[in-house]
Amino acid sequence: MVDLAALGYRYNRLLAAMPHNTLALLEPDLRKVSLEQGAVLLEPGDLIENIYFPLTGLISLTVIGKDGRFIEASTVGREGAVGLHSGLGRRRSFTRATAQIGGKFSTIQAARFEHIANGSAPIWDVVLRYTEVLWAETQQIAACNALHSASARLCRWLLQSADRIDSDEVPLTQELLAQMLGARRTTVTLLAQRMQAKGLIRYRRGRIVILDRKALEACACECYQVMHDEKLPHALGVKL
Amino acid sequence: MPMYYFNLNDDDTVMDTDGTDLPDAGAARIHATGVARELTSNGGGILGQSWSGWTMSVRDEHGTELFSLTVSDFGNGNSGSKTDRTPTRR
Repeated sequence: MVDLAALGYRYNRLLAAMPHNTLALLEPDLRKVSLEQGAVLLEPGDLIENIYFPLTGLISLTVIGKDGRFIEASTVGREGAVGLHSGLGRRRSFTRATAQIGGKFSTIQAARFEHIANGSAPIWDVVLRYTEVLWAETQQIAACNALHSASARLCRWLLQSADRIDSDEVPLTQELLAQMLGARRTTVTLLAQRMQAKGLIRYRRGRIVILDRKALEACACECYQVMHDEKLPHALGVKL
Repeated sequence: MPMYYFNLNDDDTVMDTDGTDLPDAGAARIHATGVARELTSNGGGILGQSWSGWTMSVRDEHGTELFSLTVSDFGNGNSGSKTDRTPTRR
C-alpha cells in the first residue's frame, strides 16, 4: 500500500525516468494537488496552463462529438502526463481532460515547464519516448472501440484502471463508466450486475471492487494484454 | 418523467436496479433498442457467453411489463422488429 502522505513526484514514472539533475531543475516548480473525481482539467480548445503528472488519480481524455456525445480516447495514470507538449510552446487541448478517478497529481505551470524544457535534451527524450507509447496505445483503443464488444471493453477498462491506480478498488460510478465506453448507462448497469452475479466484481455506491481478476481477464478483449504493464514499450523497442 | 426498467432474462434475471427516466413508453422502446444494440455490438456476448436465449423485459415503475425483446435479434445492426413482442392480457 502506498503511503500517500509521503508520496513524492517520483511516483509518476515519467518524472522518475528523468535524470537526477533534470528533476532538480523541475522540483522547485512542481506542486502536488488533490483533484476530485469529475474535475474537468481541460475542455477542447482550452489553452494548456498546467501539466499534470498523475500520482494516484487517473485522467481520462475524451473526444467530444458535435452532438455532445463523447467517448474516451485514452487514460493517463502515473505512467504518463497530460499537457507535455506545451513545453514546446503555447498549446491548446484537443480533448476534454477529466479526473476520472480522483487523487493526487503532481503539476507544473506550462510556462515554467517550457522555460526549463527549452533546450533540455533529457526532458525531450522522455517526452518523445512517452509519446511513442501513448500513440500506440491510442491506436489500440481506437481499434478496441470499433471492434470489441461492450462486455469485453468494460472488463478491459476496469482492469486497466485498477492497474493504473494500483488498487483493486476502482472508485467509479456507472455513469462515468458509461461515458468512458460511449454506451448508455443501462448497458453498463446490466453488464456490471451480471459481473457481480458471477463473482467477478462487487459494486456499491460508486466503487467497483475486483474480486476475480483471472475471470475478468478472461472476459476482457485482447487489448488488455496488449497494453498491460510494460508490454507496449517493449513491443515498440522503447525503453521508458 | 416516469422511470422505466430494462431487465435481462435467461435462466437468471439481470436486474436494471437503477432504471432510467424517459418521457413515455415509445421512448422506452427506443432506449431498449439502443441498449440491445450496445450489448450485442461487434458480435459480443455477455462475459464470453452468447446472447442466445436472452430476452429484455421493459417494465414501468409499477412493475408492469410493457414489452419484451429478443436480445440476439439486435446483433449485426438488425432492428429486431421480427420478434418484438408486446405481452397480451392474460
